[in-house]
Amino acid sequence: MGRIVLENVQKTFGEAEVIPPLDLTIEDGEFAVFVGPSGCGKSTLLRLIAGLEEVTSGAIKIDGADVTQVPPSKRGLAMVFQSYALYPHMTVRKNIGFPLRMAKMEQAEIDAKVEQAASVLNLKDYLDRKPGQLSGGQRQRVAIGRAIVREPEAFLFDEPLSNLDAALRVGMRMEISELHNKLNTTMIYVTHDQVEAMTMANKIVVLQAGVIEQVGSPLELYRTPRNRFVAGFIGSPKMNFIDGDAAEKLGGHSVGIRPEHIDVVEGGLWQGRVGVAEHLGSDTFFHVHDTGLAETITVRAIGDVSLRHGDTIGLSPRMDELHRFDAKGLRI
Amino acid sequence: MANRTVPRLLQTPAVVLLLFWMLVPLSMTLFFSFIRYVLNNLRRPEWTSPSIENWRGFGNYQYVWNQDSFWLAIQNSLIIVCGILFLTVAFGIAIAILINRNFPGRGIVRVMLISPFFVMPAVNAVLWINMLLDPVLGLQGIAVAGINDIISGLREAPLVGGFFSLWPEFSPISFRGAQASSYAVIMMVTWQWTPFAVLIFMTSLQSEDQQQKEAAVLDGASAWNQFRFLTLPHLGRPIAIVVMIQAIFHLSLYAEIEIVSRGSGNKNLPYYIGELVNNNIGAASATGIFAVILANIVAIFLLRMIGKTLME
Ligand SMILES: Nc1ncnc2c1ncn2[C@@H]1O[C@H](COP(=O)(O)OP(=O)(O)O)[C@@H](O)[C@H]1O
Ligand SMILES: [Mg+2]
Repeated sequence: MGRIVLENVQKTFGEAEVIPPLDLTIEDGEFAVFVGPSGCGKSTLLRLIAGLEEVTSGAIKIDGADVTQVPPSKRGLAMVFQSYALYPHMTVRKNIGFPLRMAKMEQAEIDAKVEQAASVLNLKDYLDRKPGQLSGGQRQRVAIGRAIVREPEAFLFDEPLSNLDAALRVGMRMEISELHNKLNTTMIYVTHDQVEAMTMANKIVVLQAGVIEQVGSPLELYRTPRNRFVAGFIGSPKMNFIDGDAAEKLGGHSVGIRPEHIDVVEGGLWQGRVGVAEHLGSDTFFHVHDTGLAETITVRAIGDVSLRHGDTIGLSPRMDELHRFDAKGLRI
Repeated sequence: MANRTVPRLLQTPAVVLLLFWMLVPLSMTLFFSFIRYVLNNLRRPEWTSPSIENWRGFGNYQYVWNQDSFWLAIQNSLIIVCGILFLTVAFGIAIAILINRNFPGRGIVRVMLISPFFVMPAVNAVLWINMLLDPVLGLQGIAVAGINDIISGLREAPLVGGFFSLWPEFSPISFRGAQASSYAVIMMVTWQWTPFAVLIFMTSLQSEDQQQKEAAVLDGASAWNQFRFLTLPHLGRPIAIVVMIQAIFHLSLYAEIEIVSRGSGNKNLPYYIGELVNNNIGAASATGIFAVILANIVAIFLLRMIGKTLME
C-alpha cells in the first residue's frame, strides 16, 4: 500500500514561496512523474513528501494516516538521490544492508535480503567493492538496491539518471520501469526531462514555479494539454506556436501545432523556406522560415525527404490536431 | 638517460643540503655515543674532549639501558604523547561538530577557539601552572576552597546537614608534585593543541556530503549512528594527520616539563637527554640514538595506520 495525498501543502524558504498551496493524490501502485523546468520546485516537493523538509502549512497523508509530523525514517519511504548518496566507506553489501541494520534485523536475514536484491539488480559480483570502484550505472543500482531491501510503501527518485550518459540512461529507464512492473509499488519520480516522463509514467504531474499545471496520463497531456505551458513542455520536438492575426484566423488567441502534425506537400496551405534540415534517416526535421506565421515552424517528415537548406517547402497542417489557446494561455 | 641529467643537477643542492642537515648531526651523535665524552672530569681530563682514543663501544648504551630513570622517561614520553593525542582528537571532534552548525556569533567563536594555538608554549605553561592549577592562588585553589566553604556551610544546615557532615574536606591537587605533574603537562598541551585538531576536523566536516546524511536519515540512522557510520569514517584521514603531526611535536616537549616541575614526575626523553648533556655527552648521545629508534617505531605504527586510511 502506498497512497500518498497532499492537502494544501505549502512551502516557503524565508520570504520565497517555492510551493504555493497545492493538492495532489498519488494512487497506490502508480508511477507518478513530477516534471518541469529546473528550479520549479520538483525536488522540494519530493523532499516534503520524504520528510527531509518540513511543510510550511498543509498535510501529507500516506494510506490515510497523517504523516506531516512523522520523522522521515518512520514514513516507510525510500529515496534514491541524484548523487546516489552511497556511503563511501562501506562495501556494496554494507550499503545495501544499512537500512536493515539500522532496523536491528538479524544478520542472517540481512545477508539473505542483500543477496536477493543484488541478484535482482545484477550486482552479485560487486558486493565486496566500495562505491568508489563502481561505474555510474552500478552505483545507481546500488542506490536502488538500498531502497528496495526496505520494502517501502513508496519509492522516491530525484533525477536518478541525470548523471549517466545517454545510452546508459535509456537502459536504466527500462530497468526502473521493469522494477515498477515487478514490485507494483508506488513510485514518485522527479525529472526535468519530458522524454523520461513520457516513457515511464502512469501519471505525469507538470510543475511550473511550484504550481501544478496539469496532472494526467502521458497521452492525455500530449493530446489535450490544459494550457500553453504544458503544450510546449510535453512532446519533442516542441510544439509550434502561432500568435497574432494568423492565429485569429485559425480560431484562437494563439494556436499550437505539433511538428508531427504538419505534412510536407507540394503547394500546401503554408509556404516557407527550409532553414536547418536534420536528416535522421527515419525522420527528417525541417526548421522552416518565412511562413508569415512564426519565426520558425518545425516540421517532422517521415523518412528521408530530400529538401535542402534554402529550398521552398509547402506545409499542410492537420486542422483537427490544432490546439487553440485563449489570451490567458488556457485551452479552448 | 641523458635527459635526466638536468633535473638531477637541479635537485642536487637541495639533496646535498638535506644530507648535511640530517647526516652531520646524526653521525656526530653516533660518534659521541660510542666514546667517553664528558664536559667536566678532574680525575680523567682526557675524557673532556671528543676523541677516538676514548672509544667505549656500547658502554654508553649499556649504562643508559640500565638506568631506571631512562625507562621512566620513555614511559612518561609515551603517557604524555598518548594522553594528549587522545584528548585533542576527542575534544577536537566534539568541538568541530558543535561549531559546524549555524548559530549567531559563529565567526567570533571560531576565532576565539583558534587563539590558544598562537600562545607561546612557555607562556602557556606559566599561565596554566600559576594561574589555573596552583593549589592556593590558582583557579583550582580558589575553586576547591569555595567548594569546601559551601560544604562546611551545608553541614550546619537542617535536614541535609547530617549527610554533608560525612563528606571529607577536599584538598587541592598539587600539580607541581611528582604524582600529577604529567597530568598538568597533558592538560596544558591539550588546551593548546585542541584548536589545531578542531581546525582540521572542521574543514573536513564542511566537505561532508549532506545527501549521504539525508539518505542515512531515511534509512533510519539515529544521530549517533550517523556519526558512527558516516562522520567518523569521513574523519579517518584528518584524524590520522592530526595524530601524526602531533606525535612528532609532542615527543619533543620540553618547555612545559621544565616549567611545571623541572622534570619531577614528568621527565620525558628530551628532558632526560637535556639533563645528561649537562655533563655526560656520551650517555646523552646514546639516549638520543634510543630516542631516534623510539621515534621510528612510533612513525612505523603511524605510517601503517595512515597508509590504511589513505588507501580507502
Ligand atoms: N534550502 C533552500 N533554501 C532556500 N531556497 C531553496 C532551498 N531549496 C530550494 N530552494 C529554492 O527553491 C526553488 C526550487 O528548488 P528545487 O525544488 O530544487 O527545484 P528543482 O528540483 O525543480 O530543480 C529554487 O528556486 C531554489 O532556489
Ligand atoms: Mg532538483
